[in-house]
Amino acid sequence: MRIEQHPILEFRRGRRITFTFDGRPIEAYEGETIAAALHAAGVRVLSRTRSGAPRGLFCAIGKCSSCLMTVDGIPNVKTCVTPVREGMVVQSQRGPGRLNPDFRPREREVRELRAEAVVVGAGPAGLAATRVLLRHGIKPIVFDENPHLGGQLIKQTHKFFGSRAERAGVRGFSIAEELLSEVEGEAEVLRQARVLGLYFEDGKRVLAVAHTDRLLLVEAEEIIVATGAEERFLLFPGNHLPGVYGAGAVQTLMNVYGVVPGKRALMVGAGNVGLIVSYQLLQAGVEVEAVVEAMPEIGGYHVHAAKIRRLGIPILTRHTVVRALGGERVEGAVIAQVDEKLSPIPGTEREVSVDLVCLATGLNPSTRLLEQAGARMAYVPELGGRVPLHTPHMETTLPGIYVAGDCAGIGEASTAMLEGELAALSLLSRRGLELGGEMEATRKSLEKLRLGPFGARPRAGKEKVFALMKGGSGG
Amino acid sequence: MKRCADVVIIGAGVTGAALAYELAKRGIRDVVILERRFPCSGATGRCGGGIRQQFTTPHNIRLAMESVKRYETLSEELGVDIEFIQGGYLILAETEEEREAQRKAVALQNELGLPSRLLSPEEALDVLPLLDASTITGATYCPTDGHANPFRVVEGFLAQARRMGVMVEKFTAVTGLVVERGRIVRVHTSSGKISPGAVVNAAGAWSVEIARMAGVELPNVPVRHEIAITEPVEFFMDVMVISIHNGIYFSQTKEGQIIGGIGFPDEKPGYVISSSLRFLRVYARELTRYVPALGQLAVLRQWAGLYDVTPDAQPVLGPTPGVENFIQANGYSGHGFMIAPAVAKHLADYIEKGIRSEILEKLSIERFKEEIRGEAFVVG
Ligand SMILES: Cc1cc2nc3c(=O)[nH]c(=O)nc-3n(C[C@H](O)[C@H](O)[C@H](O)COP(=O)(O)OP(=O)(O)OC[C@H]3O[C@@H](n4cnc5c(N)ncnc54)[C@H](O)[C@@H]3O)c2cc1C
Ligand SMILES: Cc1cc2nc3c(=O)[nH]c(=O)nc-3n(C[C@H](O)[C@H](O)[C@H](O)COP(=O)(O)OP(=O)(O)OC[C@H]3O[C@@H](n4cnc5c(N)ncnc54)[C@H](O)[C@@H]3O)c2cc1C
Ligand code: FES
Repeated sequence: MRIEQHPILEFRRGRRITFTFDGRPIEAYEGETIAAALHAAGVRVLSRTRSGAPRGLFCAIGKCSSCLMTVDGIPNVKTCVTPVREGMVVQSQRGPGRLNPDFRPREREVRELRAEAVVVGAGPAGLAATRVLLRHGIKPIVFDENPHLGGQLIKQTHKFFGSRAERAGVRGFSIAEELLSEVEGEAEVLRQARVLGLYFEDGKRVLAVAHTDRLLLVEAEEIIVATGAEERFLLFPGNHLPGVYGAGAVQTLMNVYGVVPGKRALMVGAGNVGLIVSYQLLQAGVEVEAVVEAMPEIGGYHVHAAKIRRLGIPILTRHTVVRALGGERVEGAVIAQVDEKLSPIPGTEREVSVDLVCLATGLNPSTRLLEQAGARMAYVPELGGRVPLHTPHMETTLPGIYVAGDCAGIGEASTAMLEGELAALSLLSRRGLELGGEMEATRKSLEKLRLGPFGARPRAGKEKVFALMKGGSGG
Repeated sequence: MKRCADVVIIGAGVTGAALAYELAKRGIRDVVILERRFPCSGATGRCGGGIRQQFTTPHNIRLAMESVKRYETLSEELGVDIEFIQGGYLILAETEEEREAQRKAVALQNELGLPSRLLSPEEALDVLPLLDASTITGATYCPTDGHANPFRVVEGFLAQARRMGVMVEKFTAVTGLVVERGRIVRVHTSSGKISPGAVVNAAGAWSVEIARMAGVELPNVPVRHEIAITEPVEFFMDVMVISIHNGIYFSQTKEGQIIGGIGFPDEKPGYVISSSLRFLRVYARELTRYVPALGQLAVLRQWAGLYDVTPDAQPVLGPTPGVENFIQANGYSGHGFMIAPAVAKHLADYIEKGIRSEILEKLSIERFKEEIRGEAFVVG
């Protein structure tokens, strides 16, 4: 089902097209991904494991492999990031797909280019970095694997706060539009351009980038990595059932593609993401049974909590999801109270009638690219997991390679933007520009943002990272 | 850690693990394995898992044949599924010279009792229907070759060895060897000293450094080799393929992934094991030239490990002249996984009964004083 009426968003849908799913015609709009179009048509089971268990969408950003299908004879295609095309033949798989014996590789176009600088990721961090570079006369190439630019921002319908003074009260997707309008046309910004690896070849740094059907080999001395984060999974029986989604996937379906993710949802996690996405579900016409939170306190801002409570949604602290029910898709869930050790208390289980379990249980920094490139990493729980070591000015252990935003430790759009700016300023000062004052000012603003009670954890995490960076150690 | 042990094995790769198990099985259980990091952290955990017998020197062929016999029953013996897939090895040739070399090799192999045979391009197609047969002048095939999962093999050996009393000391690096009157009397490690009966140098590409601690010079050099794995697809090939034309090798794991690599003759010796773009491009090009359908698959990971290469591409095995209780088990030059079970048997015979088999005689460190006739098919 598609959302026809939304209080804030207006969906500009593309041309109507038809493709087939296991032989059956499905109507879709150009610009939708295969998974979103199937979802709109009521298809939840995309494929099956070897043993026959159903598999559906989970992350919707190409990170979890839960949505693999055979498309036009090619097995294991990530349908959540592959756009539909007229006449496409989409088939479900059982276990890993089957090779098409008649396949012949086409000659791929390989383009070699040199970039003044490269920015990986066009979320708030990457775009803010790009803006600073442009202001100082450097035109970077920006790569983003998504068909839509703006990172997490494009899914946010709420008015941002807690961010920098001038952005307060602006809705997330509008911030993205604003940032984009400032850099597009100036810098070269490539979408559907996945940076696969960073190599050191013959003394040069080369990025391998899969851009639609081409391979780009991009030589660059200086690189800002702003690849964001990906969702954490939670272990419970039934977590594999179609209908158990990451909160980000639910947002993508609703707010990017205008597809209704279900009828009635259970939200797991009462951090900002859980609270905000609950509200967004209501905006999209989905009922929310409850928000469960294992900790004794709500993790997110109280305004967000108050907003959904006013609409009658209970927030149950010291509660968790124990299992998801159903054979082919979620038909219900069992929740229970937990003790101090976060274990479910027997006898407190309660069945809820939902067709959607939405996990908002935290994010992990997306650091594969930096790990592959050989940057030193460390496990810092306060920042969400393994993060690249970096200086207070965002330089990694690889000189000339900078990091910013959620991939340097989970934070917020506001801190991501400031880190992006700081990374760009560091890059510029490496080239000899005198920017001491501006750099200090940006660093101070960043520190100030982390002063509040919600900033304590990331602040402690960053201190650890800086200390390890100085000491030269790390995992 | 123990203060003394009958046998101290340096390195918990497949060599050390197989030997510890073999010794324990024979009742020699006062054995300690010293491992700088963790089991499989060296070449073993990075390798292609190929097990072939189609070599060009009699010793390599014999060792491999003995090993295959062991691998055939190992899952049962160790109580672990080592994922041994005995689907044969298909060795591709692209020129007339390579074809000629294959004729000679097969003749020698058949003489030693190996059921390998020459195939025409069309016959190769029967073995691997997705092969582009127009790329080759011919192939050889031995149905009893195969491949297995190195992690499972080491896990199986170590679990059984531990059960019988062998100690595995992880994160314990050997830092020095004290030699007195032609014997190693003490092994210094990052966590204390130990007095050994015998010391086995199974430290892979680092064996040169270990030997040097006892004043022994090995001719081995470390050389990087790169490898990659794809996403899984439905099982379609039980055969492992290699080419003597370009050194590529690849097979399909039980899970369905294609694992393989390719070597570069210009690779400089050294301990760097970073991954390169050149490898990925050349490997992908050559892989899809032979089996075009594999162009549908995405590479999931690439990594590298070290070959421990000797001048004749054959291992260094057995006692060391001048240091009587120092036993070499290294220099595998890229095929140490496949021969480990047989090597363990020969070395255990020596440690247990003092028997020096013909193989140990021929592959002793002493051979490097003489003229060298090496292994010609150095692939995976
Ligand atoms: C529900 C929700 C509500 C939020 N509310 C607020 C709020 O009120 N205030 C606030 O300040 N923050 C908020 N945030 C947090 C904020 O959105 C994030 O912290 C911020 O988007 C992080 O920015 P980023 O640029 O680091 O990463 P992202 O926005 O995640 O962008 C990363 C980009 O990198 C691209 N990418 C990743 N890997 C590659 C690759 N290999 N090659 C090419 N491109 C790649 C991705 O496609 C993506 O576009 C919220 C987040 C969520 C989920
Ligand atoms: C990419 C690649 C592909 C390969 N493919 C194949 C194949 O298909 N078939 C095949 O048969 N072979 C293959 N090989 C070769 C095979 O991996 C090796 O020959 C074999 O694994 C060697 O095992 P090992 O136990 O002797 O050495 P390793 O596995 O290297 O173990 C040596 C151990 O010694 C430890 N060590 C080093 N120094 C010290 C110290 N000072 N103190 C304590 N411990 C120390 C190391 O940490 C390491 O764990 C391949 C190798 C590579 C790199
Ligand atoms: S990769 Fe498609 S849903 Fe996660």
